[in-house]
Amino acid sequence: MSDRLKITLLLLPAMLIIVLLFFGGLAIGLMRSFNYMPVIGLTEPDLSAYFLVFTDREFYLSFLLTFHIAFTSTVISSILAIGAALLLRRNFVGRSIVNFLFQLNLTVPHLVGAIGMLYLFSQSGSFARLAAEWNLIAKPSQFPALVFDPYAIGIILQYIWKEIPFIGVIVLANMQSIGEDYESVARSLGASRWQTFRHVLLPLIFPGVLSASVMVFAFTFGAYEIPALLGANYPAALPVLAYRKYTDVDLAARPEAMAMAIIIAILSAVMIYIYIRYSRRRIRG
Amino acid sequence: MTHVSIKELTKVYPGASEPSLDRLSLEIPTGELTALLGPSGCGKTTTMKMIAGLLDPTSGDVTFDGRSILKDKPENRGVVMVFQNYLLFPYMSVADNIGFGLKMRKMDPAEIKRRVGEMLELVKLPDLGKRKPSALSGGQQQRVALARALIVQPNVLLLDEPLSNLDAHLRFEMRDLIRSLQQEMGITTIFVTHDQEEAVVLADRVALILDGCMKQYDNAEAFYKRPVDEATARFFGGQNFMSGTTRGTVFEASFGQLQLVEGLNQGSGVLTFRPENVLLNGDPSAPNTLEANIADKIYLGTQTRLKLRIGQENVDIITNPSDVEGLSPGDLIRVTLPPQTLWMLTS
Amino acid sequence: MSTRKSLITSNLRVLTGLVLITWLILPLIPLAIWSFARGWFFPDLLPKTWSLNAWNYALSDTAGVLDSLWLTIGISLAATVLSILVGVPAGRALGMYKFKGKEIVELMILAPTIVPGIAVVLGIHSVFIFVGLNNTVPGVILVHLVPTLPYMVLVMSGIFANYDASFEAQARSLGASALKTFWYVTLPAIMPGIIVGGLFAFLVSWSQYILTLLIGGGRVVTLPLLLFNFATSGRNDITGAIGMIYILPGIIILLLTARHLSGRSGAVGGFGQI
Repeated sequence: MSDRLKITLLLLPAMLIIVLLFFGGLAIGLMRSFNYMPVIGLTEPDLSAYFLVFTDREFYLSFLLTFHIAFTSTVISSILAIGAALLLRRNFVGRSIVNFLFQLNLTVPHLVGAIGMLYLFSQSGSFARLAAEWNLIAKPSQFPALVFDPYAIGIILQYIWKEIPFIGVIVLANMQSIGEDYESVARSLGASRWQTFRHVLLPLIFPGVLSASVMVFAFTFGAYEIPALLGANYPAALPVLAYRKYTDVDLAARPEAMAMAIIIAILSAVMIYIYIRYSRRRIRG
Repeated sequence: MTHVSIKELTKVYPGASEPSLDRLSLEIPTGELTALLGPSGCGKTTTMKMIAGLLDPTSGDVTFDGRSILKDKPENRGVVMVFQNYLLFPYMSVADNIGFGLKMRKMDPAEIKRRVGEMLELVKLPDLGKRKPSALSGGQQQRVALARALIVQPNVLLLDEPLSNLDAHLRFEMRDLIRSLQQEMGITTIFVTHDQEEAVVLADRVALILDGCMKQYDNAEAFYKRPVDEATARFFGGQNFMSGTTRGTVFEASFGQLQLVEGLNQGSGVLTFRPENVLLNGDPSAPNTLEANIADKIYLGTQTRLKLRIGQENVDIITNPSDVEGLSPGDLIRVTLPPQTLWMLTS
Repeated sequence: MSTRKSLITSNLRVLTGLVLITWLILPLIPLAIWSFARGWFFPDLLPKTWSLNAWNYALSDTAGVLDSLWLTIGISLAATVLSILVGVPAGRALGMYKFKGKEIVELMILAPTIVPGIAVVLGIHSVFIFVGLNNTVPGVILVHLVPTLPYMVLVMSGIFANYDASFEAQARSLGASALKTFWYVTLPAIMPGIIVGGLFAFLVSWSQYILTLLIGGGRVVTLPLLLFNFATSGRNDITGAIGMIYILPGIIILLLTARHLSGRSGAVGGFGQI
């Protein structure tokens, strides 16, 4: 058997699944977003769905909200994750517990974390009860709205909870494979602790941080169940809005939902581009 | 211009029962090039890191011109360490790497650029400033690492195995470069190596460290001619050791007497001599000329090693291949052990 | 001086570590407490009365929680097995061979790990309607392959990149058939990868929500769907109990494999999807 045939046969089943399901799903979504579906008699593609989406105020609010959620969660998680990784690199009492909890947290689904946040931060949640205990508030409605709120604080808190360990584990492994010698060199050349971090460690771990952040951004931009549980009703996050449009009793709203799905896909394509650029550079050194 | 003094320096790593370095004391005069020599794991890199401030000693002291530096932060010690694998920052150009230390001191960029240019000339890489380190050969990377260290004009320069990653033909070139720069700038330099040849070739003085203890601190020749003990002699390629007793200038060996020079250790002990100092088929009337039986003959290309039996003693000698042509195991030959090449180890 | 300073920094480390530990377990605490609470009203910090009602309900035969648990396990196992069967050969091709278009193939396999499910599942849904896979368990299993398969392939291509195929040639030259060679030489060598990749695939499938919701169409109610329903209906005690059951496999898997789950493995990206 020639190598070429062998490679083709080895790859065929996996590629079939990915091409048919993933790219097929994307392609059908794209076609339907253009109102093009010959099977059901739609043979004249048009841009009406996109026109509706881009003239809808709710879409813009929803897009901005989703971007705000993804961006804020990613930036805060990345910064805290670098801090946590710096901490875990050193020996201290309790390090193994933090390490274990990091890994434990990775296996807990987002949905469970979201429910936990609901019970912690809602107006009758644990923190509201603590506030009442300390006589800061008298009734639940006086507690600041941290879930179902317009700033999506609850959603962001849940993402930070989940993504610190995710980015942290990647960054920590990155730091461990880099070792401490580069930093020693910098110190001996006269760099202070801060300068060493800023000019040596940070540039060295940056590609790893960036590729992890890109994954987090794409995930938080496209996740459904967390904003569905913790988010305000209006404006809703983009995936929630897309799902609502898709399951609307009015089937005419489906192309709009498809258009939103395509917008999310385009944004993730940008993320993939960034990911490839930096992860490739990291591999090639 | 810094006199480095190491006093009873000891390092016990947390959880270790044995010290990695046991009460090392060393005086390194201003401007000298000193080698810390020893097998891997003997504590020499630990010593360097403690001088550089990258590791805290368990006890002992390091002083520069009489002032203890242990409480100074690494960046304020005036010590620069060059690592074995160079560790050039991969995301910076060669010029940025060399200028790193000056940038950390917040020097004016134009001045940094000028000095980097000078430094590139000095290490003979004038046109490579814009390249990335990954585009350089090992020897070039080594020069950049050296330039990056020297540009901050350290008081003390520490080099970790500076020649070990280089090909044989580059080693002498690099050796000359390091020595000339070091002499020119008068920087007190300490380097560590596991390779006795590297130590001998490069250093003014060599400190041999075995099992965390310093065995001998001397110029290179002394390690061949006057090793302190058998372990030291063996580290430098010594092969021949005979037990016996010295009285005056006479050594009583198992096979008879050997003539010695004056001033050697007296009493029972171990006599040693280097395999390359034994003469073959010399003047029969010269002192210490003996009959030997060839046990084995090993041809090594540029030299030949003979394993001899003198009485009950095994003796190894190294000769010119042409001197022993035609001889084979079992043959008898005449060897001379010149008295000035014999040395008594301290017991 | 320097020892005092290092004492301060080490205390600071322990303190930050404590904050981090608290933050990491904090959201799980009310969930656990709720599962043992009978009515836990504002402003009580702890429930006035404790009970096992929620657990009795969740573990009873009639409530459907156990049915949902077995269904979820079945779906995730099926998605895992399919991912292994399909992902191992693909990983071998990507890890051991250089070929034209390899970068494009890698990109195509990487894409589903970054593109969110919502972006593709709407299109898949409208096709599944036509082929009758909608609202069926096989349809759900199939759509779960979109997020699980790429991780399996990534893990296996990493394994095969460090795998020396000359062991196979040696076995063949010693008289082993192709099948026997695979069974006695290849499989033992790649087993660690299959285990790690399989566990990832299982957990990724286990945590899927939107794919199951749309393709299952309300007929295929896996544990996360059930959990979401109880969470939004205000039955906090039952939500707590189901939540505890739901995170159990992850914890078991972690305890079994903690040492494999270092961030160095390319597959750790899979955690981003859970």
